[in-house]
Order: sequence, then structure tokens, then C-alpha cells
Amino acid sequence: MNTTRRGLMAGATLLAMPAIAQGQKRVTIMSHAVHQRVVTGAKGGDSTAAWREKNNASIEWLTFGVEAVHERVYREAALAQGSVDVAFLLERYGGPHIAPLFEDLGPLMAADPLEAPDEISPSMFAAHTYRGRSIGVPYRHATHGFFWNKALFEERGVSAVPTTFEQIAETAEKMTFTRGDGSRLAGYATSMDDPSGIMDIIRAHGGDFITRDYKYVADAPEAVRAVTLLRDWYRKGVLPRNMMTFKTEEVITTMQQGRAAMTNQPFGRYENYNDPKQSKFPGQFGVAPLPALSTLGGNGLVPAKTSVWAMAIPRNAPDKKLSWSLIKEISSPQNTIRAAVNGNGPVRMSAYDDPRVKELAPYSEAERRVLPTAMLVVPGFEQAARAMDIFMEEVQKAMLGQAEPAAAMKAARGRIEPLLPT
Amino acid sequence: MKRARRSELALLAPAHMLLLAFIVLPAIYVGWMSLTKTSFEGSAAFVGFANYATLFGDAVFWRAAWNTFWVVNAVVYGEMLLGLGLALLAAGWMPWRRVLIACLIAPYAINEVSAVAMWRYVLEPDVGMVSWLLVRIGIGQLDWTADPTDALTLAAILSIWTHTPFTFLILYAALRAVPQELTEAAVVDGARGWAVFRHVLLPSIMPALLVALLFRYIIAMRIFAEIWLLTEGGPARLTEVLAVYLYRTAFRYHEFGLASATGLTMMLLSLAIAAPYLVHVYRRMFRHA
Repeated sequence: MNTTRRGLMAGATLLAMPAIAQGQKRVTIMSHAVHQRVVTGAKGGDSTAAWREKNNASIEWLTFGVEAVHERVYREAALAQGSVDVAFLLERYGGPHIAPLFEDLGPLMAADPLEAPDEISPSMFAAHTYRGRSIGVPYRHATHGFFWNKALFEERGVSAVPTTFEQIAETAEKMTFTRGDGSRLAGYATSMDDPSGIMDIIRAHGGDFITRDYKYVADAPEAVRAVTLLRDWYRKGVLPRNMMTFKTEEVITTMQQGRAAMTNQPFGRYENYNDPKQSKFPGQFGVAPLPALSTLGGNGLVPAKTSVWAMAIPRNAPDKKLSWSLIKEISSPQNTIRAAVNGNGPVRMSAYDDPRVKELAPYSEAERRVLPTAMLVVPGFEQAARAMDIFMEEVQKAMLGQAEPAAAMKAARGRIEPLLPT
Repeated sequence: MKRARRSELALLAPAHMLLLAFIVLPAIYVGWMSLTKTSFEGSAAFVGFANYATLFGDAVFWRAAWNTFWVVNAVVYGEMLLGLGLALLAAGWMPWRRVLIACLIAPYAINEVSAVAMWRYVLEPDVGMVSWLLVRIGIGQLDWTADPTDALTLAAILSIWTHTPFTFLILYAALRAVPQELTEAAVVDGARGWAVFRHVLLPSIMPALLVALLFRYIIAMRIFAEIWLLTEGGPARLTEVLAVYLYRTAFRYHEFGLASATGLTMMLLSLAIAAPYLVHVYRRMFRHA
């Protein structure tokens, strides 16, 4: 049989006929891959299934890395006409300057309210509200816990899980070794593309970067001590040699392949680390709240780093009512539970009481424990991205030995303070 | 010189309109934006030359400019030497010429992103095959994740690997176009290998060499993918080049005025590099006009 262009076109039209006949709507979501996984995952079920059927719509997911998704969403939303209906945004990539690109959700919420909105913490809404303009409905919190690989601990004869940060430091050094076959194991790994990975370590020492009232404090002795530890770890090989290029994705791969023994990552990564399809050590990863230095007192836990992902509607979205109806559906209490079972950090506290979440997300109790004291990396402000880059630049200089930790943190003060809101 | 007639101008007009629409007007707009403070909020406030003052006062910009300078020179001259050497080989005696030429130009067909991902993987310090091999044969690893010089060296090698086929093809075509009688006459007059190359082949292919040099300079000035996909300019922004600086300013900090100033500065730098060659080519072309 001859294949002709006309024949191919006729075939394509025939294939598309069902959708054309039904007048199916197409909705585009731009997000990180993790959102697609938790919204549509098999374990808890697809949160959009009922909505799609009811609205006769199909959903196209466009997923990118954390930084790339924001870059693309902002570019798309800046156009006169757009095709993205819902976008997932992380608070530390936002700021008042991007707020005009998104629909103010206040009037939509007033006209057609979310189900049980009071369950979602006002501080999470506040993380996506700029000059009174609320642009996002919180969907996922990525709150950090402390992960360790039990099989590697066993290989090295470590029987006790660290319960203070001093013990983590000690164990990290012990877990750093080279096997007989030449393969190297790093004691600890974390991401270096922004401060979210190292903030836990700084806060474990009682330090911070930028306070809620916009004061730079990373040159205080506590933070300098943490940066000194990072430098020493890097010199000794406790951190992977190529860690300067690590983003979240590299940390995940390194842990799954058993090339590092411990890390601090969102609790939800428990699924990725223990999944037999993705990990070389399924079922071998434990997670707990990250402990602080024993000398700090308090409850002994680090105020865990958290991030808040929210769903927003670009100002040029083709059908904003439809977008809002999808956001409402995805953020309903029932779907919050579904997503939590799929590994999402639920923004509704009631999800933690659900028996399915307790059973299928065994880390949920630990996650719930740290939530009340969890902190964002930095409070939102227009120059936050530049301030975080400068901070990481100076931290990396200290780690590479190009500057003393105290001098690097002082240099960061000089460059970051002029960027802070007054 | 003969004056162009109206009909000739009319025939040239579409090309000029396209240049105006897609090159000149956007360049003017970028020039205007570089004098404003503007982000996504839409309102552009005129700030004069403040963006240029910020740019030239930023140590990271100067480091990026220096990195660009040395990477671009390493890439362009590395490519010229390699491309010329390969072209001389291919134009002279070479067994299985067609197959080998196909192999030589293959890297040009590989997507830059795929090429960087591949090199990054084989040179990964812990599990990379090439890294392992380099250690085994005693050379030692290229510490590109932590050492800025090693990272920039790798970016330059990668760029040379990807783009040498372009230079090779231009020079190979030029060498093939040199009349054989010229080299034969030189040989009859007693010239040998180096003398034939220096006094016959090189002057004959010089225009092509200059064109290749010019094109590669301008394209290499925009080097981005190699650095961004390898290190994103890190560690500590020590491997940043101008295109990465521009990208970060525009799409991470959303400071479009400053990004425009960076873009315009890059354009002027390219023009400064290209100007001597353009003048030379212009004089050569119209010497007898």
C-alpha cells in the first residue's frame, strides 16, 4: 500500500475525531515533575480524574527543573496571550515584581471559595502574597528531614542513628571511605544551587541567613561555625568531590545509587529513595527530623527548612474560571490526602490524621512534628534571588579555601545588605 | 563607483527591510531598555547610564569578561589550528577520505546539550569512564567541578570538539579550490612542504581563513551551553562567561535593563573584534572597484 500525505492527514483526522466530536478542552499545567507525580500518582490515586470527566477536559503537564519552571512560567505569563492555565510556583523564586504576571486570587476566592481554606496556614498564603495581591493557593510544602541509608550504616558498622548534630558530624566522617574496589562513599550530600540545602546545617548550629525582619545575620559566629564545618567536610571528602555542581536532582541520584550515606531533603523524597524502580537500596532509607547541636537546648530539633509551592493562574490564561475550578479541585481536603499518599507534603494539617496517610507515608508523623517550627529559606523580597546567589558564592569561596569563612560571610554582608528591603 | 539605480535598490529593499525589522529595530529597543529600569511590572523608568555604571562596577561582570576573553581565544585559535591541520590532511593524502571526513564532521551534527551531557557524564569525577582512564594512565583527573581553570578548559575543549567541523569544512573547501598548477609550479621551482604551505597555500586560503576566524569569534563570544550545562558558572561564579551573566541577570534576577546593557556591551565587544577583519575584507574586495 502506498502511503500518501493525503492518506496520513485523513488518518490523523480520524484519530482525532473522538476528541473533536466531544469538544474536549485542553488544560495546560506548568510545574516541576514532582507535582505531576503527587497529583496523578497511582498509590493515592489521580486527583484530577473526576474533574477531567466532569469538565470533559484533558490535562497536559509541562514539567521542568525547579529554576527552569519559573523562568518559563514568567516568560510565558509576560506575553500578551498565553496557553498555560495553571502554574506551580515556589515562594523563594517569587517577589513583588512578578506578582502582576498572575491573577489576583482574592476576588476568585470571594466569589467561589476553596473548600475549608482555614485548614491551610495563613503563613503559607502569605508566602505567595505581595502588596496585598494573593497569587497562589498553597499546595505542597517541601520540609526537610534527615535521611540515612541503613544498608551503608550496617556496612560500616554504625548501629545508632544520630540524635544530635554532633553525632551527625561524627558519623559523616566515619561513613566517608573508599572500598576495596575503589568506589568512594561520601558521608553527607546536599544541594548547592541555592541555600536551601545548607540552611539546615547553619540552623543546626543556631545560625541563620536573613531574618524575617530582613536583617543579614550570616556573619554571626553560629553561621560562620557551620560554614567552617562545610569547608572542613569538603576538604576531607565527607562531601562528594563534585558537590559544587549538585542540584536537588544530583542529590537524589547520589543517594539512590548509594554514593553518599546521609542527606537533608524534603520528607517526601522517602518515596524516591525507597522505590525499587528508582533506588539501589529500596526500603533501606530512614528519615527523621534533623537534630540540632546538643548545646542549643530547646526541643533538640533544627527549625527545618521549608518551601511552599502554590498554584497560580497566569494573567494571560485562556479560561481563568476553568483554571480556578481545577485549582479548587486539586487543593480539596480529599485530594490533599491522595497527594500526601503519593508523597506530597500536605498543606492541610487534617491530612496527617488520615489512616491512609499514616500507613502509606510512614514519615508523616515526623514531618508533622517539625512543621510548627519550620522556616522558609529567606523571607520574600524583590532581590531575594540575587541575595541567595551572592550568599552561595561566598559560601563556596569559603569551601574552596579562597576565603576564610568569617571573611566570606562578612563580604556577603557588604553585598547583600544594600539589596534588603528597608 | 557606479551609483545604484532605483530598480536595483527596489530589488535590495526586501533584504534591507528584513535586516531592519529583525536586527536594527530590536537592537534599538535593547539600547533603549539598557537606559531604563524595567522588570515584569511593565513600567520602564529612565535611569540614564546607571545600568552601565552598575555593570562596570560589578566584579562578577569583569570576571565573566575575562573568562570569555580567554575561552574565546582558546576556542577560536584551537579550532583554527586543528581545523587547518585536518583540512591539510584531508586535502592531501588520506586513505578512506570520505569515511574519515564524515567522522570528522559528525560532532557538528550532535546537539550541543546532548554533547555536554555526554562529556559531563564521562568526565564525572567518581564514576566517569574517561576520568577513570585519565587516572589509570597517570594524567590525573580534570577537576572541573571544583577548579575554575579546569572547568573553563573543559568548556573550551568541548566547544572545539563541537565546532571544529565548521572551520574544517571551510578550510578544506578553500584548499581544494587552490589550483594544482600553483603547487606544482612551486615544487618545480624547488619549494618543499613548509615553503609550499607558507608561500602558496596559506595566501590562497587566507580569505577563507579570515571568514572562518571572524564567524567563529562572533559565535564563540556567545558561548553559553557549554558553561551553563557544565557548571552554571560555578563554583562561586568563577567560571561565568558574559552570556551566562546576561542570562542570570535577565531570567533569574529579572533585571531587563541591566541585561540589555550587558547584551549591548557584548555586541560592541564583538564589533570591536570584527572591525579589523571587516575593514581588511572591505579594502580587499573594493581595492580595484
